Amino acid sequence: MRLDISSKLALVLLLWVCAFTLEWFVSVPLLVVAAAARYLVPAFRPQSHRANRAFNKFLLYSVAILVLLTALNALLMPGGDILFTLAGLKFHHDGLMFGIRTAARLLLLSVSILIFFISTPLPDFIRFLQQKGLPSQLILILLLTLHFLDQLPERINRVFVAQEARGAPVRAGVFSRAKSLVSILSPLVLSSIVESIDRGTALEVRGFLVRPEASLVRVQARQKLNPVSLTLLLLTLGVLFLFLLRWLLAF
Amino acid sequence: MLNSVRGRIANEMTGAALPFVAFCIALNLTVGQVTAALKIPLYLDSIGTVLVAVLVGPWSAVIAGSFANLLAAAFGNPSMMFFIPVVVVIGAFTGYLARAGWFRRWYLVALGGILQGILAAIVSAPISAYLFGGVMMTGTDFLVLYFRSVGNTLLNSVFYQGLTSDPVDKLITYLLVFFITRSLPRRLLSRLRGASNLKETPSRHAP
Amino acid sequence: MAARILIDRFSFRYGPDLPSALAEVSLDIAPGSCCGILGPTGAGKTTLLHALVGILGRHHPDSIHAGTIRVGERTFAPLPDEILFPKVGLVLQDPFVQLSGVRDTVSDEVLFTLENLGIASEVAQSRVAALLRELGIDHLASRQPSTLSGGETQRLALATMLIAAPEVLLLDEPTSALDTSAVERLRQIIESLHSRTTVIITDTQIDFSLPLADQIVVLDAGNLRFDGKPSDFTSRMNEFGDVLPVRGWREALDRLAESSAMQSHAADLLGKALGKT
Repeated sequence: MRLDISSKLALVLLLWVCAFTLEWFVSVPLLVVAAAARYLVPAFRPQSHRANRAFNKFLLYSVAILVLLTALNALLMPGGDILFTLAGLKFHHDGLMFGIRTAARLLLLSVSILIFFISTPLPDFIRFLQQKGLPSQLILILLLTLHFLDQLPERINRVFVAQEARGAPVRAGVFSRAKSLVSILSPLVLSSIVESIDRGTALEVRGFLVRPEASLVRVQARQKLNPVSLTLLLLTLGVLFLFLLRWLLAF
Repeated sequence: MLNSVRGRIANEMTGAALPFVAFCIALNLTVGQVTAALKIPLYLDSIGTVLVAVLVGPWSAVIAGSFANLLAAAFGNPSMMFFIPVVVVIGAFTGYLARAGWFRRWYLVALGGILQGILAAIVSAPISAYLFGGVMMTGTDFLVLYFRSVGNTLLNSVFYQGLTSDPVDKLITYLLVFFITRSLPRRLLSRLRGASNLKETPSRHAP
Repeated sequence: MAARILIDRFSFRYGPDLPSALAEVSLDIAPGSCCGILGPTGAGKTTLLHALVGILGRHHPDSIHAGTIRVGERTFAPLPDEILFPKVGLVLQDPFVQLSGVRDTVSDEVLFTLENLGIASEVAQSRVAALLRELGIDHLASRQPSTLSGGETQRLALATMLIAAPEVLLLDEPTSALDTSAVERLRQIIESLHSRTTVIITDTQIDFSLPLADQIVVLDAGNLRFDGKPSDFTSRMNEFGDVLPVRGWREALDRLAESSAMQSHAADLLGKALGKT
């Protein structure tokens, strides 16, 4: 079973449709299965330590969100039976169910995005977008952003140290520190504009912006969907159809 | 219509604009490093979007904001994807305010920031209420809690919380961008399409 | 095939209230030759290069200009309204900025240029490999561009232009960030381009261009102060002491003396020049 980027995106779409259309008692098991896919399905294994850390952080977040959403809404949303009372605080059934439904939906939406990105290196995803026809300028922006993300922390640090050495009040009161923001961000933005002008010129003289139709990588001829993607898309349509049917029957 | 949108984007995205937009997206994602180092309790995570809106144009700002949120999701914060509609509004609104000359005077900038904040609160409220149940795992959750405890609906509570923080955040972001752009040499700025937004005499933009 | 460059009374002003960046400059640069354009910062050297590659008009639509520029068979009055790449290639002063920043390896970085021209990568791979070999950086083909030294980056930047086989190659102060050995390597590469490509090098120093050039031009505040053979330039070099640093002239003449093409001339000039100090 091949899980290329198209298939993974089809899965994300399916999970999103499920999150919005299915009841919580279906969403919650789906959520558990989706989270477990990170461990069980090779295609969803994290591609880096950073991705792995992000997923582990998400697991902690999920527990916290589930507890907070259910508890707070059970407390604050009156309606239905009172399930229990704790230290004088009443926890209501309707609020609890609202919390569970909201948490299930939010977490299913989030885990689907997360398992996609932890298992798909960004450059591969950007290349995929390019093959699907995203304009060259936008592809270049995404790739250059990754390039700047590598450099920017060090540049920020250099500017910060330079400003501190010049006596900028980076450790004084809040108001002074807020003023320092301008003295740190201005040279950063200025140097970025200077560099952007030069980079823009370099791109132009290398023919990039002159002939955007000769894109970075030529758009591939339309490929047939692989069976996995097709199955997932059909499932998505099926879920949507059932939801619409149920909605119409409810009238 | 798609061709018209593409045309507008192409019109804004001249040579120097592409790397600048990329830089601003990266700035959105890393500015937290600056505010953390200065121990300032602000997010400023839309400062790059506002810079693009003012110096390049509204459509480029929409792209910058959307890409920043997409990349933030890719780097482990998937909930940022859901707020893409908010950044679209921030980028477009700020870009059109800049074209109308609002970034030439500090008081217009301040007013624009407050209006932007109110708009951001309006657009983000349904997202926060419906998708997040008002729980964002930040300090502002206590405000939502308070508003709900005094009898407001979830949606209203999230909106009121947004009204207390978004206008302040956007006001500060707008003023920061105003002061930063004022300090930039005009000759350099002329290579970016939106630079005429900062000139004293208004100039027309091609649609 | 190298292109001839003919510039006829070209004037350029960045804006109506700004002084002339170039004032009635006329030049005739033979195809396949190497021209060194010397002058201090602000002399108009980069402006001239940008005019030749076709970006000056695009970047400065409010500029005021006059004259004509002819590149090969095409004449512009005066500014090209399109970028003339791949006919004209420009290597920027900062080679790090010349690189796209979006390619993971040296050979992919060079391929990027060909992709922009719509040339398929399968066809292009062998061209890239051959060029990297010629420039002596084939051993770096799979390295990340950001890990290269200054001299290696300069050669990669050159490769990104040479891969398109331009008829004219413009080099904007190519040695400003290079050490001695890197400068020497660059000189050998430019010498190898002789008669294949018209090369224009701008510089604030004289020691790099003088041994290479068939023609020397001196610009000063947008005005043409000298246009002629290197031998004529060296005999009048002291006239340009106000705009060119003279510290490099001895080394330049020594190199001229070593170059077989200029040996007898150089020995002569060296003698004359030494006699003048």
